[in-house]
Amino acid sequence: MNQRTLSSRVTKLVKSAAAAAAVPLIFIYVLVSKPDFYLINGLGHIVLPAAHFVGNVVTWPIRATGEAISNIYNLSTLQAENKRLQQELDAALANKNACDIAVAENRRLSNELDIVHATPQSVIMADVVHDTVALHHSNFLINKGVFDGIKKGMVVTSVDGFMAGMVIDVGGEFSRVRALNDADSSIAVRIAGDEVYGFLTGDGSANPEIGLFSRPEFKAEHGMTVITSNISGVLPNGIMVGTMINGRDVKILQIDSISRVKVLEFNTNNEYK
Amino acid sequence: MIKKVISFLCDISPFLAVIILWRLQLHFWNPGGILAIIPIFFYSFVRPVPWFTPFAILFCFLIDYNFDTKLFWTTMYFIAYAINGFQYFIDLQRADKNAIVPFMIFLGFSLFILMIFNLSWTVLFRCIWMFVWVSGLYIPITIFMKKVHADD
Repeated sequence: MNQRTLSSRVTKLVKSAAAAAAVPLIFIYVLVSKPDFYLINGLGHIVLPAAHFVGNVVTWPIRATGEAISNIYNLSTLQAENKRLQQELDAALANKNACDIAVAENRRLSNELDIVHATPQSVIMADVVHDTVALHHSNFLINKGVFDGIKKGMVVTSVDGFMAGMVIDVGGEFSRVRALNDADSSIAVRIAGDEVYGFLTGDGSANPEIGLFSRPEFKAEHGMTVITSNISGVLPNGIMVGTMINGRDVKILQIDSISRVKVLEFNTNNEYK
Repeated sequence: MIKKVISFLCDISPFLAVIILWRLQLHFWNPGGILAIIPIFFYSFVRPVPWFTPFAILFCFLIDYNFDTKLFWTTMYFIAYAINGFQYFIDLQRADKNAIVPFMIFLGFSLFILMIFNLSWTVLFRCIWMFVWVSGLYIPITIFMKKVHADD
């Protein structure tokens, strides 16, 4: 009996020592493998789909019930939404002619000014399968990965062209996208119609902010449109990002409102003047 | 036969609880599947289950993947595991209220570290909410788990 107790104590101590030894190893790994974290990302590519599959099977009844309730609620509000959408469609159609004229005019001016706009080399449609907003991070997973031609650094937009984020990690059949309000996100932007540049930086809140503008005397006003800029050479020029709420905060696309996205691959080499 | 099925379900309930709570993540109520930390803590330290530790490490890693915190929760789990194993002053298996106080210390300390490295009002409020909510759910969830195992 005493021997058994002793051996269980020794086993416990050995396990605890192993756990304690793992901590400095993790610290060293995190310091050494920054910023790519190939090992843990690679492990995630194997473990995450498996855990999702098991989780989906186990939680199927709960999620099905939740979806049924959500669908019933959606059905109850469908009529009102239909009416609202009809009104929005009428208003959009009324503006369509003016927009067509503006687009043609813009094209003519671009040609005259010799401005070259980058065009995406490829577009991949994907579904948002999972989103995570936790503390200062805001990510989502899409159901297309390296097998579909997705690469790290690709730009992800909503179907209507608003920037949603950038691909930060690619698995076989899924990719992780960092949203614009993630604390690690910082993208070069400019005010549409003006040569004022800045960096849109996420802090975990719903609306990221532009800390400093390239022109210090510039005062941003509510409703100004913010688009991407290619000044940092990372993003292409002219993707819609959002609208200014006040002097700093920008209203962007919220990830819980998107279910389908476009993944764009841009060639930024010599495409800009 | 039914008894065997019930016994099997009881045996796998710790693992199911973790999977369910991790998978059913919601922005406000269960960000990143953090509620899974309750059964992870409970079945690792308060009511240890054979072969649960590797599973707990795996799901700490998955919580980290959701949080985009590189091995943070995994490290905190290792630290808690080592501290619990090296000390004999507090026996978590016999602690009051299913060891809610050690759990709150573990959770509070972890959230505090996450908060100070990314300090903003949003993160502060989210940390406070997460601490209150997860700690508040600890007792009901652990009581339910004990009932499943007919411990009470």
